[in-house]
Amino acid sequence: MARFTLPPNSRIAANGKTHPAPPGAKRTKTFRIYRWSPESGENPRFDTFEIDLDDCGPMVLDALIKIKGEVDPTLTFRRSCREGICGSCAMNIDGTNTLACTKAIEDIRGTVTITPLPHLEVIKDLVPDLRHFYAQYASIRPWLQTVTPAPHMKERLQSPEDRAKLDGLYECILCACCSTSCPSYWWNSDRFLGPAILLQAYRWLADSRDEMTGERLDQLEDPFRLYRCHTIMNCATVCPKGLNPAKAIAEIKKMMLERA
Amino acid sequence: MPEAYKLVDHVYDAVVVGAGGSGLRATMGLAEAGLRTACITKVFPTRSHTVAAQGGIAAALGNMGPDHWTWHMYDTVKGSDWLGDQDAIEYLCREAPAAVYELEHFGVPFSRTPDGRIYQRAFGGMTQNMGAGPPAQRTCAAADRTGHAMLHALYQQSLKHDADFFIEYFAIDLIMVDGACRGVVALCMEDGSIHRFRAHAVVLATGGYGRCYFSATSAHTCTGDGGGMVLRAGLPLQDMEFVQFHPTGIYGAGVLITEGARGEGGYLTNAAGERFMERYAPSAKDLASRDVVSRAMAQEIREGRGVGKERDHIHLHLDHIDPRILAERLPGITETARIFAGVDITRAPIPVVPTVHYNMGGIPTNYWGEVVTVRDGDPDAVVPGLFAVGEAACVSVHGANRLGSNSLIDLVVFGRACAKRIATLVKPMTPPPPVPRDSADFAIARVDALRHARGGSPTARIRLAMQKTMQANCGVFRNAEVLDEGCARIDAVYQQMADIGLADRSLVFNTDLIEALELENMVAQAVVTMHSARARTESRGAHMREDYPARDDENWMKHSLAWFRDGRVELGTRPVHTWTFSDEVEYIRPKARVY
Amino acid sequence: MGPAARSGTDLKRVRGLGAAHAGVHHWWAQRVTAAANLLLGIWLVASLLWLPDFSRAAVVAWVGQPWVAVPLALLVGSATWHMRLGVQVMLEDYVRDEGLRRLLLILLDFYAVGVAAVGLFAVLKIAFGAADA
Repeated sequence: MARFTLPPNSRIAANGKTHPAPPGAKRTKTFRIYRWSPESGENPRFDTFEIDLDDCGPMVLDALIKIKGEVDPTLTFRRSCREGICGSCAMNIDGTNTLACTKAIEDIRGTVTITPLPHLEVIKDLVPDLRHFYAQYASIRPWLQTVTPAPHMKERLQSPEDRAKLDGLYECILCACCSTSCPSYWWNSDRFLGPAILLQAYRWLADSRDEMTGERLDQLEDPFRLYRCHTIMNCATVCPKGLNPAKAIAEIKKMMLERA
Repeated sequence: MPEAYKLVDHVYDAVVVGAGGSGLRATMGLAEAGLRTACITKVFPTRSHTVAAQGGIAAALGNMGPDHWTWHMYDTVKGSDWLGDQDAIEYLCREAPAAVYELEHFGVPFSRTPDGRIYQRAFGGMTQNMGAGPPAQRTCAAADRTGHAMLHALYQQSLKHDADFFIEYFAIDLIMVDGACRGVVALCMEDGSIHRFRAHAVVLATGGYGRCYFSATSAHTCTGDGGGMVLRAGLPLQDMEFVQFHPTGIYGAGVLITEGARGEGGYLTNAAGERFMERYAPSAKDLASRDVVSRAMAQEIREGRGVGKERDHIHLHLDHIDPRILAERLPGITETARIFAGVDITRAPIPVVPTVHYNMGGIPTNYWGEVVTVRDGDPDAVVPGLFAVGEAACVSVHGANRLGSNSLIDLVVFGRACAKRIATLVKPMTPPPPVPRDSADFAIARVDALRHARGGSPTARIRLAMQKTMQANCGVFRNAEVLDEGCARIDAVYQQMADIGLADRSLVFNTDLIEALELENMVAQAVVTMHSARARTESRGAHMREDYPARDDENWMKHSLAWFRDGRVELGTRPVHTWTFSDEVEYIRPKARVY
Repeated sequence: MGPAARSGTDLKRVRGLGAAHAGVHHWWAQRVTAAANLLLGIWLVASLLWLPDFSRAAVVAWVGQPWVAVPLALLVGSATWHMRLGVQVMLEDYVRDEGLRRLLLILLDFYAVGVAAVGLFAVLKIAFGAADA
């Protein structure tokens, strides 16, 4: 059966450390952060950090960087662009998958609880293993496929209307927030492609320049790859770029029906 | 070896370090040429900072009006304040259209004109008719997410071609034997194992070192690791004093607002609501070159005409533009301005300030991407086996100041050129020359020393000291006094590296260690940047010396070189190439640079 | 992140046995039967409310009429089919073990066909007048 309880070595231990705010801090915020290192041999724990908001940037990522820089350099997370375009710092903040760099601290009431993206193996602290997710991306052959040769020293023409069909699709940053918020992906990620990859698949189905529509649909026509989507809609709720993978999946299903 | 690290050996025809735009284009080209190719990258490819490029990629396609690659060349030379090598600039500009069409064929979702061709917008310093005409619409755009669209397309292409990716591997040091590069040593972040890559060719595509500064549009990962490796290998870096300040970084957050915002009609105002650029650049106005606009903004702020409570920033107006145009062409910065400045750009101006954005300087190369150095009087002596492309390199096409949208074209044109060059030099599947048994020891010793460092200065503290120093003493306006103090302060920061202390001693995903390794790379480049800036006693492009306000072609029409040996900077020069790539265009002679 | 050799293994796992080239009919049938269930369900509830009383005689007499027996038979078919499709999805979602899943799917088929057969038999028996009035 699907596993509904945590394996014993995933249970949260009660030995989390607490780092109080510096004396004199007036506006403090408490961050409860998931910690686990494979080398320690211990179960995961939650460490608590009290941060002086008057001495910290506005975003959750600013707080994480402050903690790493000034309190505990062993805190481990991915980050890069800090402007919501690279997708590195995807994590679960206050119960919702999002990017730490565009999530304002003041939008969160009470204690800020941070855990890695759910239902992925954890490498360390807030760093999950995304290899399977990336392999799923590669599996849909995410590049322009044509039979007609490209014109020499010219672009392929595409009307602004056809180009507009790619809006809401090409902006995906592969942060995996949507896929790891999808219960269907939690249970069946081994075979279900999940919202992010299906959105990417539709990006090529919707491109007027791509000539492999039938072959792409062939590869998706599967009870697990595509039809595990039960329109739960978590994907559209959490997408930090405001995209709607559920709609893209619905469009794929429509195309499937059209040719069935 | 100090401790038993797991050492894994790999043999390839070519190894690319970095998976941004140039690294991926080089990787793809090498794999396509049938070379066994590895690409080592410290972040998953689509997380590289090319992803954040917004406005577009320059190429004289002429989709929006008359254009010619020679006009693009003229603008680039003028933008570079004549410090660019004109053979390389000609190569860049004449290859640019083919490179953009290639990207379109890869599937980049460019915005389109009504007749279905690639949409092009105006950008700073881009003009028609060798600087004489009106602004040229030369910058090909995918809304304001061009870099994102391009990087994803290049990663997609590399999935199509068989290249081996080593993702979340951090390159530590080059393997140099008798002045030639034979490979590179990297750390696998997932398990802390050391990997020694032997190859005929190593391509450094490691990007810029913007994070040397406190406020930069650059990502946290822009730490110039290739430049650090090159300095440790005893090779020089070139033109390091030329650091570009982008006029429009969001005040406070430092996040980029594309120059395309002004290309689409945006303009800057001071506290009086005055469009002050009309005074500084009567003809190009807000679309003057970046160094000119940034300096004008800094001048306005200095003279008390900045906006805001502290009068320390400037307003960028887009609120006069049709909201539908903003939604279609600038959707990304609409979102960015809302998140990071709390501004609805259809109603209010964005608070902006000049922010460190790009390093014109870097690893000196020729237009094939071959790393060059000065050897036995030859200023163009090639370092066998070592190549550099992208922001890490200094070809030099950007000279003293890069034009907006010329960096993306630089990535693909020279990424491709470099792959082509290596394909002519290396016979596929032949074994690379042997390396000494102890060739990884230097790198491993560095890793081990840092991992167990018990000094009193955490990485973040030293990094902050470096960033504050660079920001204060190597900014938009420079003079001998500020730079002398800067040299003393940055040298002190370098000394402080001896006292570094780490807290994380683990092997698995030790980002404390990675940040320390990155800091070592950054500090060295910060030091040579400051010293190079002090040495150049003229004003050219982004390097503005108040004590030497004029360009001095007689003494300084040359590239500066900086070596960093045992904590000491040694300076030298290389001549600027005053010839062109072909006979089709003549060398463009220096003249006064007015916008 | 491992080298490409390892990511190749990941890709093999992801590609698995390939696409089944099925699913669209299942998905569509689930929606069509849902629509049929909705229409027939509304009809059933409305008709029952219309009945003078719920005595056995009254209900049997009602079912015996052709314009009741036919839609009722259709509802039995549509509802069991829909149930069959829906429970299949649940089993596929939550039962990880391949053998167990296969077994449960067979049992589901037996169950669905059985329920449909019993239901249809009952309706037809009444409709063709064999039941006691």
